[in-house]
Amino acid sequence: MAASAPDRPLLEAEDIHTRLGGRWLHEGVSFDIGRGEVVALIGGSGTGKSVLLRECIGLLRPTSGRVRLFGEDIWSLDQLSVNRVRSRFGVLFQEGALFSSLTVAENVAAPLDVHCRLPRRLRDEVVALNIRLAGLPMDAADKRPSELSGGMKKRAGLARALVLEPELLFLDEPTSGLDPISAREFDHLLRVLCDSLGLTALLATHDLDTLWGMVDRVIVLHGGRVIADGPVDQVSRMEHDWIRAYFSAHSGGRTGDEHGI
Amino acid sequence: MDRPAPFLELREGEAGWVLRLGGEWRIGNLTRIEGLLADIRVPHDTPLRVDAEAVTGLDSAGVMLLVNRLRAAGVVWSNVDLAIADPHQRTLVQLIADRLDARARPRRRRRRLLPMIGRHAEHLWRLAADYFTFFGRLVYALRDLARQPGRFRVREFTTQLEATGLDALPIVLLMNFLMGVVFAFLMGIQVAKFGANIFVVDGVALAVTRELGPLLTAILLAGRSGAAFTAQIGAMKVTEEIDAISTLGLSPMQVLVLPRLLAIVLTMPLLAGMGDMVGMLGGALVAAWQLDITPYTFFDRLRAVLPFNTLLFGLYKTPVFAAAIAFIACRNGFAVSRDARSVGEHTTGTVVQSLVAVILIDSAFAVAFPEIK
Repeated sequence: MAASAPDRPLLEAEDIHTRLGGRWLHEGVSFDIGRGEVVALIGGSGTGKSVLLRECIGLLRPTSGRVRLFGEDIWSLDQLSVNRVRSRFGVLFQEGALFSSLTVAENVAAPLDVHCRLPRRLRDEVVALNIRLAGLPMDAADKRPSELSGGMKKRAGLARALVLEPELLFLDEPTSGLDPISAREFDHLLRVLCDSLGLTALLATHDLDTLWGMVDRVIVLHGGRVIADGPVDQVSRMEHDWIRAYFSAHSGGRTGDEHGI
Repeated sequence: MDRPAPFLELREGEAGWVLRLGGEWRIGNLTRIEGLLADIRVPHDTPLRVDAEAVTGLDSAGVMLLVNRLRAAGVVWSNVDLAIADPHQRTLVQLIADRLDARARPRRRRRRLLPMIGRHAEHLWRLAADYFTFFGRLVYALRDLARQPGRFRVREFTTQLEATGLDALPIVLLMNFLMGVVFAFLMGIQVAKFGANIFVVDGVALAVTRELGPLLTAILLAGRSGAAFTAQIGAMKVTEEIDAISTLGLSPMQVLVLPRLLAIVLTMPLLAGMGDMVGMLGGALVAAWQLDITPYTFFDRLRAVLPFNTLLFGLYKTPVFAAAIAFIACRNGFAVSRDARSVGEHTTGTVVQSLVAVILIDSAFAVAFPEIK
């Protein structure tokens, strides 16, 4: 169903350098993400995962290097083209970043109102669909974000990220702040949505279970560079101090047989 | 990019009706797709086959519209024979049809007069109850403070003295000065008509000390310090700092409310007193310039017509204003719920409610003591 250049990666980060607060955060980070892949970005706290994500979605300009989304270098586009590119990807921020003065339904409708003028009734139908897709009960639609639990906020944020039918989804710590059961449910939901909607996803995460459960590929950020890039079981066996420490952080000897829950 | 428009056709095949669709069934074409679907009359008692082989692009909104409209026309989706080539599209259709199964629309909130009145009445009732509760907590806190004066938060108190007093001084002086000028100017025009120029002193003295000075100061502090109290306490509520204070075994009333309340109760009479002085100064300036009353004559007359009691009466009101403002502001700060919007709402509430309170208190004083001996 993808008519436009299926061989070209959806996201290409090329030799990204970032200097923040007087020190180099990224010293030449490069990676590609192809259509249909679900990729996790891991790394210790402070290695700049979130910063990298912000650079990819055009919120923060890297000191040098290139970010190409759908083949277009977003840091050399004019505002109009950037907005056109932005309507093709969705972002789920860490705390959901819902607009606190709007109800859930209005939050989900917000991107539609900006990018896609629809008659009101049709718009409401699309909003209802996305609220359902994100696994929220319909009575959550009229609630305000302050009335929702952490997990429901994430789901509402996901509904908002999905509403414009994006091809690419960015998720910053999708399971942080959720209990293990909700976190696995959320992983499962994401995987189902990615598979059925044909989504490509890049998620910054700390959650080992997410890695084993739903990710096609892992990119490891360490010391300002990408030190590993590949399938989870391959990366987890790599001989590197940080990677070994990371994957053995869960005591009880997690093994590869849990792959593919 | 060249994208084929969505199309839809219904014809009778050998095994029932066939709905053939093709083109781009995506959110960008949604309005068009809806138009197409609206024109189709699907017979719902015969088997239906949906042939989507010619669809080039399909997204969840497109599927939703198809499923919703066919269902609305009486078609049972699970009986539909679906022909679709792309396996991705097939899973998409299945997912959407599953999720849409239990159908419910977001209810639109309808505004009707009677429920609205009811809601507002209930809101007012709760507000009143909440104020009473807060008043009770405040009384307890004051009692605890009287028992253990050593636990008073001196540093917070002095910080608030500076914020509500010293920092507010320039604006209070400027406003009171201007008010004195304006009042003397307008009154001067009237008294000059009768050749009773000297009576401008009586007017300015009484107006500034009894009403203008205290009231103006109270209004400024309600907007300035009252709003600040609510916003500070509200923001602390949002970041759970207030819970942290309670967990440390401290009382938020002792730590946050009492220092603010006592500071503003102390500073407002001082500010109003200085406001009175510059107000009269402004009056004297206008009198000298417009009515040829020398400052010496002005202040000489002032001594004769302004008993010290009148000045004090005006100042006596200010601690009451201050207490009301601090009380309302802190109550609203604690009433903030954990989101950004709520902070703004309650800050607005503080300013409005404390202005109302100030005017009401002022009226009560005026009625209770119409004449000062």
